[in-house]
Amino acid sequence: MFRFLLIRLSHALIALLVITILVFSLSHLSGNPIDAMLPDDATPQQIEELTTHLGLDRPIVVQYLTFLKNAAMGDFGDSLKWKGQTAAAVVLERLPATLKLGGFALFLSIVIAIPLGVLAAVHKNSFIDSFATAIALLGQSLPAFWLGIVLMWVFSVTLGWLPTSGLGGLSHMILPAIAMAWFQVAALTRLTRSAMLEVLDAEYVKLARVKGVPEAKVVWKHAFRNAAIVPLTYFGVLAGSLLTGSVVIETVFNWPGTGWLAITAIQGRDFPVVQTVVLFFAVLYLFANFLVDILYALVDPRIRVS
Amino acid sequence: MNKFTSKVAGLSLAMLMGTTSLVMAQTVTIAMSPPSVETNRYWNTPGDFNLAPSMQGLVGHDPGTGVYDNSGLAESWESNDDFTEWTFRLHPDAEFHFGFGPVTAADVVHSVALHTGEDSTLIGVAQLKDAKVEAIDEHTVKFSLPSPQVDFLFAHGGRGSLVIYSKAQFDAEGIEGYDAKPAGTGEFQFASRQVGQGLSFDRVDNHWSGQDAKVARLELRFIAEPATALATLLAKETDMAILPRELQPDAINAGFEVLSSSNAANQTAMLFNGTFLTEGDEKLDPTLPWLDIRIREAINRSIDREAMIDVLYDGRAQILPVFAMDPRHEGYRADLVEKFDEYYGYDLEKVAALLADAGYPDSFENPVIPILSSNLAGNPEFPTMAELMQVFLDEAGFQTEIVELDWAGLGALRRAREAKLFHPMRNMPVKPSAVGIGNYYASSGRPNVNYEDPIIEALNMEYRASINPEERDRLAGEIFEQAFEQYAVAPLASLSTEVMMNPETIAGWQFPGVTSAGVSHFNLIEAK
Amino acid sequence: MLSRLPLFPIAILLIVLVIPALFADWIAPHDPYKSNLRARLEPPVFFGGTWEYALGTDRLGRDILSRIMHGARYALGISMIGIVLGALVGTALGLISGYLRGWVDILIMRVVDITFALPSILLALALAAVSGPSFGLVVLVVVFVIWGFFARQVRAETLSLRERDFVARARVAGASGTRIVLRYILPNIANTIIVLATLQIGVVILLEATLSFLGIGIPRPAPAWGILVADGRQLIVSAWWISLFPGLAILLTVLSVNLIGDRLRDWLDPKLRQV
Repeated sequence: MFRFLLIRLSHALIALLVITILVFSLSHLSGNPIDAMLPDDATPQQIEELTTHLGLDRPIVVQYLTFLKNAAMGDFGDSLKWKGQTAAAVVLERLPATLKLGGFALFLSIVIAIPLGVLAAVHKNSFIDSFATAIALLGQSLPAFWLGIVLMWVFSVTLGWLPTSGLGGLSHMILPAIAMAWFQVAALTRLTRSAMLEVLDAEYVKLARVKGVPEAKVVWKHAFRNAAIVPLTYFGVLAGSLLTGSVVIETVFNWPGTGWLAITAIQGRDFPVVQTVVLFFAVLYLFANFLVDILYALVDPRIRVS
Repeated sequence: MNKFTSKVAGLSLAMLMGTTSLVMAQTVTIAMSPPSVETNRYWNTPGDFNLAPSMQGLVGHDPGTGVYDNSGLAESWESNDDFTEWTFRLHPDAEFHFGFGPVTAADVVHSVALHTGEDSTLIGVAQLKDAKVEAIDEHTVKFSLPSPQVDFLFAHGGRGSLVIYSKAQFDAEGIEGYDAKPAGTGEFQFASRQVGQGLSFDRVDNHWSGQDAKVARLELRFIAEPATALATLLAKETDMAILPRELQPDAINAGFEVLSSSNAANQTAMLFNGTFLTEGDEKLDPTLPWLDIRIREAINRSIDREAMIDVLYDGRAQILPVFAMDPRHEGYRADLVEKFDEYYGYDLEKVAALLADAGYPDSFENPVIPILSSNLAGNPEFPTMAELMQVFLDEAGFQTEIVELDWAGLGALRRAREAKLFHPMRNMPVKPSAVGIGNYYASSGRPNVNYEDPIIEALNMEYRASINPEERDRLAGEIFEQAFEQYAVAPLASLSTEVMMNPETIAGWQFPGVTSAGVSHFNLIEAK
Repeated sequence: MLSRLPLFPIAILLIVLVIPALFADWIAPHDPYKSNLRARLEPPVFFGGTWEYALGTDRLGRDILSRIMHGARYALGISMIGIVLGALVGTALGLISGYLRGWVDILIMRVVDITFALPSILLALALAAVSGPSFGLVVLVVVFVIWGFFARQVRAETLSLRERDFVARARVAGASGTRIVLRYILPNIANTIIVLATLQIGVVILLEATLSFLGIGIPRPAPAWGILVADGRQLIVSAWWISLFPGLAILLTVLSVNLIGDRLRDWLDPKLRQV
């Protein structure tokens, strides 16, 4: 098992390195940050001075290697748009907000989707099943940005139940988390339902029933434990989709997290911050997948033994 | 539960329910779009400064007329006869926040050095870079300029390139002090900044100017999404909101009122970039369709400006006869205003005749008019403007295409003198004529300028050298006349800055509309 | 047989997506680009409007219904092209990965990991900043996002199929790797690919809508559905119809595609229920 994990870890690190190259080249290709920073009447001299000051006149490979060397020591450069702060500081300041919102969205997805999926499978073809399937379908078909806007207008402006936007506690998180989680709830419900359906058909479950084990125990102790591996493996993808989801949702709800930061940094051509954000997310995603690998290894005896 | 636990419980509950502040008497919250750069260092912004409530330049503006007055840090000023030396006398009572002492000439010298440093990205700083600054005494500063600058006060006013920081704070806390809590001299003092969310300011009691601000606390909330800003206003989470025009009817219908700047704050136009008509300009692309004056006239006459003002500005704007010309500045020609309809009036028949005469599109190597759709903070109507222009031009018989580019990308093209586009431009606040002419009509504004011709070149050389007010007024007027008759650009509208306010909580606010943000004079906000 | 067809979703799909995409030029009541400045912000017909602009007009007086109809071709076009290309790339690499195994397999699967780790929206933003938004860019981003799903699934099935008897026999008989893959493995996974493709259409349409909404998808002035929703973003309180109806079109299309995909999967390849 240890060997297995070590291999997976090395793969993750390689992936990370490739991502740094990709991100670096892309952000530099996407335009000169000087253009985003200078006013309309900048003189050629101002441009030159700023270029040298920021080290943008060095060849790109040199810039990349410097970036890598510094990054290894935790220095991701200074933000070009948020003057006076390092890129790492800017990202770290906003990361908790996204983690908070993403965590809450994740929590909502799990709490709603898993029970719903299980119940739908157990009571197949009943009303609950149809309801769950409908929710799932709807969730995977709705554009998140549209949902966010509609939610805000119905619940904040028209009904006045919840605040419209901005950073805050539970009441500020509910609407954006719902908009973000919607798609996840749908996918997770379907996944759980189909996994449960497969397992409930299995021999050992039938055996347990024949032996007289109470139904609830059959469902949760025997069937669910085995079915759980399927939604579990989906968590890696979930983690990745959190950023994609957060970019739009955070803009609509004015939630100052890393998604909002990413869009603003790209528009402001703030390379260091763009690179740092993407790297953080790549790390988070790879880490989440690695965690899933560990869990897999613990749960699946075949891997444990090999 | 003991006292400690109950406190923790209370705090947790409060945090959980999202209440961020204890109820404060008289806090005014304003929703606005985020500044392009969020920092306390003015010289690292392109000119839109979020610390306007707490920091000041040397020169202030009258809230009604916008005319320069001594509501800034300078009590009085004078220049020598040829405008190469400007001397400012500081208010003797002026002092910095947080106990950093009185404002002295040394603070001014220190601030100039900061603003003209090599990391400065501030607009207009060229006016200051070549100046020699010296402290004549504790309260007198002299600027010596290499060439005459009649409009030198512009560099110190609301859209200026200089805001006064405390040298004492810098000596004691370094630049980190500015980043953490910058001391200013305004009627409000910096309270805190929540990056990505907004800024808070507290009133300064017994302000040195003798007049305290009228509200106790000011909170600026940065909201990028206009629909969200409107939502905060309607939900009464904010007292005022700076909204795009097209959202204002919704607020008005819900009972909110419009607060307008006392003067025109913004001019918009579409530029025929690349119209370099001076001899031997290698950057001239001869295939550009609008190099032919008939095309420029035809395009101008294809625009139904009244309809455009309805669509883009909810009817609350004036047609602009000449871009960069304004009654408050040099060169204003009322006769051009009268002649506007005759030269620029919406007339599709005339357009057809002009196009036939010019042989469009067949005699043109490249007949397609590329219209730029771009986003610029402060002018959210630009993408709609592009689509509207396409509608007008298509109907008139032009071949068009929409080009999407972000504003920084356009800036790069303009600097390379390769922006071969029909693109929107704004003049906000309305700058002194010399600056405007330089920006849009003459080679003195290279590399960014969009139009040049030999007649304006000659006039501009005289204009820049002149220090006689009557002569300057005449010359500027002649330049505007030439631009008008040559259809150098497509002037669109002149607008004031409008703020939506909640009449239940706000009594009023007077501001002249002379800053990049449009709003200023936060000390004059009156709550109910 | 006919009763097994999911008639309702097919009908919806035809009405909302296919027919408008193919015949918009003939059946749309107005020119989607023509604006009538005197008929700006007209509400839909049962909310105070008229039948002339059945779903209302936008801020420039353009008919929403006609714009939605013309926008359908972008949804259809992107999904068709994007899916085909994504499936091609993904299947090819999945087959290679699953059949050859070894370092090729490891390499390709790492590339899949990297693809999933890079946030697609940010990639699209960066690319759009380089070259401006374009149809090609959207296709590129779509392919980037979905090829990995095909690759992984195809690889998994190839891995198991490759151990089967008929494949072993073919190998013994001297068939080349390419021949085995194309003649023996591919036909057996065809069902999987079809089902996967159908299920991804919804993802693709939503992706295109999100990109267009952010301004980095189909370039203006094309009336792509995402752009139509973005158009109404600011005016959501008073002119709600501008965003609502295009959003509904997206919803109905993706919904019916998913329903059809589900049935197809149950019919062709039930073990994909976990996808």
